[in-house]
Amino acid sequence: MPESDSEMDLRALLAGEIHQIGERAPSSLKARLYSALIRKQRESGPLASLNTSVAAGHALCVFEELVHIAPVGEKAKSPFFCEICHARVMAERFEHPPIFWPGCPYVDFRKS
Amino acid sequence: MNAQHQPQMPETTEGAEEQRLVSGVLAKDRKATAEFVSLCADWIYPFVRHRLVPRAELVEDLMQEIMFTAWQALPSFRGDANLRSWVMGIARHKLEDHYRKRIREIEMPEEDDSLLELAVMPGFEHLLDLADRQKKVQETLAALPEAYALALIWQYRDEKSVREMALLAGKTEKAMERLLARARESFKKRWNNA
Repeated sequence: MPESDSEMDLRALLAGEIHQIGERAPSSLKARLYSALIRKQRESGPLASLNTSVAAGHALCVFEELVHIAPVGEKAKSPFFCEICHARVMAERFEHPPIFWPGCPYVDFRKS
Repeated sequence: MNAQHQPQMPETTEGAEEQRLVSGVLAKDRKATAEFVSLCADWIYPFVRHRLVPRAELVEDLMQEIMFTAWQALPSFRGDANLRSWVMGIARHKLEDHYRKRIREIEMPEEDDSLLELAVMPGFEHLLDLADRQKKVQETLAALPEAYALALIWQYRDEKSVREMALLAGKTEKAMERLLARARESFKKRWNNA
């Protein structure tokens, strides 16, 4: 059945409300989703050690680097250190948090 | 969930990058997970947000649900489609589930059917400014009963047929047509009165 003019206008109006090209998720939303997914991952066992991240070519933040070079076992390098970091807290709450050091995923969310 | 993932041999650099990322996420490498979240969030966010307007408060919950489902289903990702298409497929299903559940749950508003034919087509063409028009669309949708707004978005933004909508929502086609007719008239009336 062909659409009436009225129907076509309504379709154009409602369907026409498309998103802007290149629209990205807010960084604070990414930060919250990341923290939530990490918690979900921990439900089935510890995260990979920081050594795994380094071996895969990822950069560590200054705090993670300290743990990475410390003479401790793999198990001690597995916790989610961001849980107690103020960068996570700020990134989850603010769109432009004043955090700048490299290797921090919460800083990278702001840039991406 | 573990790193027993055996991906197919990727044929492109992009495919290889995606397989590296997927393997990292499955191995619970926090940095790979951050990259995965950042990519997926940018893909999903515009899609979900514009289909949940005006219920913006639901966006985060639905995105989290999509993200968790993607992570749980990641071992089945074989790289036949690219990662974006695969994740967007999950997002579409989740959104469809949301529409279906809400339309099933919501009690249909009682309105006087005699008014259905009275609404005059609004003068959409007079709203030349796109931003103003989008704002007014959102405000008008927000003012509608939720079932009406969902039905309109489902049909016009997701381009679902009445038959598909009826099937998914567990209603008859006649009931869905009636819901859509009421939703359209309600939208027009509110648009004209805004």
